[in-house]
Formats: sequence, structure tokens, C-alpha cells
Amino acid sequence: MKQFKNMTYPYILWISIMIVVPMFMILMYAFTKHGNDVATFWFTFENFTRFFSDIIFINVLKQSLYIAIITTILCILLGYPAAYIIANAKEKNKVFLILLITFPTWINMLVRTYAWMGILQDNGILNNILSLFGLQTKLLHTDFAVILGMVYNFIPFMILQIHTSLTKMDKSLLEAASDLGADKLQCFLKVTFPLSLPGVISGITLVFLPAMSSFFIPKLLGGGQYVLIGNVIESQFLTAGNWNFGSAISLIMAIIIMISMYITKKIEIRNSTGKGKILH
Amino acid sequence: MKKLIQFKNIVKDFDGQLVLKGINLDIYENEFVTLLGPSGCGKTTLLRILGGFLNQTEGQVIFDNTEISHVPPYKREINTVFQKYALFPHMNVYDNIAFGLKIKKEPKDIIEQKVQRMLKLVNLEDYAKRNVTELSGGQQQRIAIARALVNEPMVLLLDEPLGALDLKLRKEMQHELKKIQQEVGITFIYVTHDQEEALTMSDKIVVMKDGEIQQIGSPTDIYNEPINEFVAKFIGESNIIDGVMLDDYRVMFEDKIFDCVDFGFDKNEKIDVVIRPEDLDIVPRKDGKLKGIVRSVLFKGVHYETIIETKVGTSITVQMKVSDEKPVINTEANEKMSANDFYLDVSDIEELTEATIVARADAQAWNPDTEEWISIQKISYDIKPENGTYPVTFSTAAGTSVTVNMIVKDENRVINKEYQEKIFAVNFFKTADEIKESIALETDLKTWANASAWSLDEDTPVEITSIHYDFDPENITVGTYNVTFATEGHEYMVDTTDKYEVGDEVGLMFQPQDIHIMKKG
Repeated sequence: MKQFKNMTYPYILWISIMIVVPMFMILMYAFTKHGNDVATFWFTFENFTRFFSDIIFINVLKQSLYIAIITTILCILLGYPAAYIIANAKEKNKVFLILLITFPTWINMLVRTYAWMGILQDNGILNNILSLFGLQTKLLHTDFAVILGMVYNFIPFMILQIHTSLTKMDKSLLEAASDLGADKLQCFLKVTFPLSLPGVISGITLVFLPAMSSFFIPKLLGGGQYVLIGNVIESQFLTAGNWNFGSAISLIMAIIIMISMYITKKIEIRNSTGKGKILH
Repeated sequence: MKKLIQFKNIVKDFDGQLVLKGINLDIYENEFVTLLGPSGCGKTTLLRILGGFLNQTEGQVIFDNTEISHVPPYKREINTVFQKYALFPHMNVYDNIAFGLKIKKEPKDIIEQKVQRMLKLVNLEDYAKRNVTELSGGQQQRIAIARALVNEPMVLLLDEPLGALDLKLRKEMQHELKKIQQEVGITFIYVTHDQEEALTMSDKIVVMKDGEIQQIGSPTDIYNEPINEFVAKFIGESNIIDGVMLDDYRVMFEDKIFDCVDFGFDKNEKIDVVIRPEDLDIVPRKDGKLKGIVRSVLFKGVHYETIIETKVGTSITVQMKVSDEKPVINTEANEKMSANDFYLDVSDIEELTEATIVARADAQAWNPDTEEWISIQKISYDIKPENGTYPVTFSTAAGTSVTVNMIVKDENRVINKEYQEKIFAVNFFKTADEIKESIALETDLKTWANASAWSLDEDTPVEITSIHYDFDPENITVGTYNVTFATEGHEYMVDTTDKYEVGDEVGLMFQPQDIHIMKKG
């Protein structure tokens, strides 16, 4: 294996340039004042105090968390049954069903989101169908549209993660549970579900992160006035040109995400082994 | 004792493949029953039908006087110890064992008591809070047993539960399982392919093969009175010899008549004679009921497994003619070439190909400096399907050529009516160097002589087990030598405590009660 060690250098170089350096730059920008020149920096916490003292930003953060959490919960509620059905399908159908789930991801996410704009707009297909029942309503530029867009885009990640953990599970465990007197529901609740939790947890990570930081889905489906934290960061960098404040918000969001990942990891460890129960 | 389980004509069909062909079996209370058989015999399928994980295609399963074919597994008073234990990895030892009781919603304090008692039974009292994935194979095994037994089932099913353990642990667990079974006093149904395991633990052994029961009986019955050749071979080592039952208590085999204790066969009925290796004694040649030569000796720890041959198999002797022919040298093209004369059988000529001719003549051409092989471009020969000598010429592209003779004969086979075997081999030519350079001489001799043997009734190949030659391969010189090929003769396996040397001439001794007679087929 030793001779392959050298092959990691290009990768190390790549991540240093593309990940570590930009992270340091974000860190540096976040703690310095707007308008530095090459030689001088003014260290400051101003960017952070500005964010936390402005109720508008706090509300945007709350809204983003709310949308991300709702999206994640919906992905679990819709994705789990789908994954369960796929995992228990016949081998032939399984391949087809997985293809069905992954197929849309082959098309650019932006294109698919534009397509939803067409479907959801006031005289779009959906509203036309609803109007047949006299139910015409505003769909585009609502929370509903944003959440729909997010669930639609991110649910394959949830389904595939749960599906993997379900298929990895030893089927003889279910026979054992049934042998010990558990009926179908008890088998699911006591064996299948707890053992699929690692898949659910990694699914949450894969859905919550992009849902939290997405900016074009709220922009396109939420309309111009709909602002989530991703949009604020985007506008600070691209429109306002305030890289320092933009970096500070990015950092805040990164910390929130890290905390939530830490919590989910903790739950995962507790559930995947018997240890959690020994503690109390 | 009371009948607890009755299998009535159980048939199982997996996509047109019959796995169980009508099993009828009664199992009583408090019995330790072993289903024994090679893999694919249907033993696990039968167990899974009883556990409720499979439905039989036909037949009935009666449990405690009730038909249970349509009762789901979770409602059966049967628990299973699975092959790979199937412990729940997300629960600790305590929760694994308590699983069944919690499902039944027993009070907490009762669960606590029962689990503790089970942990004591399997000698793992201090392991309640351990994570099951941290336990060794043997410990996981005990937990699996405890998890099943805590539910106080009427029957415990064990599906090759010791398969994953090492030999020492397996022996320990065999004793422990037997002890547990006697202590809890319920029926154990144990599936295994290990005859020793079955003999050690069982009250009753059910030997299965190809979805059918071969024999049901106690370990001693099955060992001492196997009903057919399959059972005899499967349960321990045994010598099986063709024989004829002349009369009650009189059997003939190896052309000799012996007294035995068996009776009730037809006059002159063809039968199989079984003699266990431990029932045979080696005695001086003159005192033996049978006489033979020691063919091989293997040390097995407590005894030597000695093979005695009483009669040689079908054999054929051919001549090996060793010449000192030198390769043809073509200095112009810098090539060397060699080939030898060879014998052919008349029947070979029809299917004769150039590749065969090259192989039999061992024709090769090479560059003497680089040792690289050069391909033979042209082979010219003319052959008729009758005895005679025909020249064949091999040549390379550069013009180097060698001519050798193909000698066609038709007396190259020996037919043995008694064994219904045919053996075939031809004389051959070699150079001394080729014999000295051979790394696997016996295999090479077989190839050179084109030796092969068949069974006449079944038209299947028979292995040539012995090859004898009257030369010293290290110091061979020009001349003609004999090579004898033979199939396996009558051989007896004998367990001895004394060590005999290969080639010793000895006698075999046995008592009338050591002879067991089985019906043919």
C-alpha cells in the first residue's frame, strides 16, 4: 500500500487550494472590516454584532431553519415508505424503481426548478386543473412552492440513504424477531426501524444541509421578496459587494450546521449500538 | 412418551425442484433429535417449515395434536437458534434475551428474574450490559440459546448452531447443549451435517439425503446397523465390500465364506458388507482371515489409519523404451528439433488431429541460444486404420525437420470382468533426459502412455491409483522398462495403534459380529 501513498498528494494539494484556503479567506473576511487594502487589516466583530442585532436577519435565519426542518421532515415521511417499498421489492423491480428515483437528478437542478415555475404559476397546469374544481389559488411565490421545490430536489438523497441501510440489514433478524413472538408491526418497530436509523440520519444530513443553504430555489419559486439565508449571503457577495458581512453570515450558518450535525451524530451513536441504553 | 410433532408426507417444491419428497417423521417430548445429512439434503428446509418460515407444498405438520401449517411463526410455541445467531445488534445482551418476554408484555420484575436465570444457565451472568457485537462467537451462541429458551418453548430448533465455531469450542458447546437440554427438559431439534456432533448429542438421529429420510434410529443403531451404503459412509468411516448372502448366518465375500450374525435375506442375495475400521485387527499373515499388503499409513492422533490392499485392481503393463536420441541440429537456421516415435491404438486413428500427433510425438523445435520455442509449421503423414508403422515428418518454417514413426497396434487394453473395468495404455518412447527432467513423473508417465480406465457398466472414467515402474528415474539409462498402471483394488481401512510400514504383508482378522450386512441399493 505504501507505493500508493504518493498518489494522494495531488488530492491533498487540490483540497488545500480549493477548500482550506477559501475557508481561511472566509474566516479572515468575517473578522475584518470592509475596505481593507492589501497591506492593512482592521480586526473586528462588527459583522457579527450587525447580524445578531438586526431583527430582519434573525427572522431570515429563523425562516431558513423552519423551511429546512419542514423539508427534512417531509423527506423522511415521504422517503421512508418509498425506500421501504424499494428495499422489499423484487430484484427486477428494484433496479427500475431506483432508476426512477435517480433519473430526475440527471437533469440540471436549475432546469427542473424552472419547470416547477411553469407548473405552479397562476395560469400553469396545476392551477388549470384545480380551476376545474373551482379551487384556483396562488401557488407560486409561497412557502408551499419553496418547500415543494426543496422536497422534490432533495428527496432522492433521503430515499437512497434509507434504502441502503434497509438492504444492508440482515433478513434473519426479522425471522428471529418473528420467532420470538413479534408480529409484522412489532418487527418493524423494534427491529427494522431502529436498524435503519443510521440511514435516516445520513439522509437528514444530506437533505438538511442543502435545504438550509439553497438560494436559487427560494429565489425562483419564492419570488423576489422571498429571502432565505442563502439569498442574503448571495446578495452580500454579488449585489452589495460586502464580502466581509457575507463571510460572517456564511460562518454563522456553518456553525449552525456543525452543531446540528453534531447532535444528529450523537443520536446515531446512541441508536446504532446498545450503549445508549446502558447509560441510564 | 407423548408424540409432540408429526410430519405427515411433507413435500416441498422450490420452483419445480423437489427439496423434500414426502417426509414422515414423529418427534416425541423431551427428545434430542438430530436431522443429519449433507448440504442440500433438505434438513434445514424441514426445520424452517416447522419454524413457520416456509410453507410446505403438500402435507401436514401436527404440533401437540393441532395442525399448524397456517399458524404464523410468532404464534408457534417453538423457538429457533439461527445459524448465524441473528442477535439484534442495536440491543445489549439483556435486551436481546428479554425481547420475547417484552413482546408478551410480561411484568418487568418477572422479565428481570427470567433473564438472570437464563444468563446463569448459559454461564454469562456478568454480561447483561454488554453490547452483543463485542462478544466472541461462542458467547453470541450462548446468548442466542438463552434468547430462545427464555420464552419457555416446547421445542427448540437449532440450525447448525455450532458451524461457525472452532473445533475446541464446538466440542465444549456440544456437551453444554446436551446438558442444557437435559436441564430444561424440552425437545431439541438439531440440524447438522457433522456426523460426530449428531452421534455425541442425539437421542435420535434422522439421516436424510436428497429430500428423503434414509434411516431413523439411536446413534448406536445408526452406527452399528446402517441401513444402506449412504448411511454407512456418512456416519463414520467404513469398509463396504460387495458380497453374497449364501444362507442365514453365512456370507461370502473376497471369494471366501464367513460366519456372520445376520439373517433373513434371500438365498444368494447380493448384498453390501460393512466392516468398521476399528473392528478390524491386523495379525500375522498366516493367521488372517484375509491377506493383504499395507498400502498407506496416516497418523490420526490416537491411532493410525492403515490401508490394506487385499486384491489389486485392474492393471496393464506397458513398455517404456528409453533411447539416447539427440535433437536434430540445423546450424544454418540456428534451430534444434526433437520428436520421438509413438504408439497409437487403431481406435484413435479416426479422431487423430495434428495437435494430438504433436503431443504424442512430443515434437518441439527451439533456438539453442535463446531457448525460445519455434512453432512447427508443417506436419506430413499418411495413415491407414490398420496395424502398421507409418512415418510422420515435422518441419519448421526454416526447413529443420524430424521424421518419426507412428506404430499402430490394437492390443492395448485389459478388461477386468470381475470389477467391470477396462484399462488402456500404450508403449512409448522417451529419452533418458526427459525422464530425469520430469517434475511429476507419475502424471507424466500416465500422459506418455495415454493411460486411462473406465467402468464398463456406467461408462465413466475410473481413477488410476497406482503406477509401478522398475527403474530409478535419477539414473536411468538406455533400455526397455516396464510401467504398470492399475486401478484401486479391494482396500480395507483399519484403525491400529501399532505402526505398520507401507509394503508390509499382513493378515486381517475380524469376528462374526463385526460383519454388518446391508441390502443393495
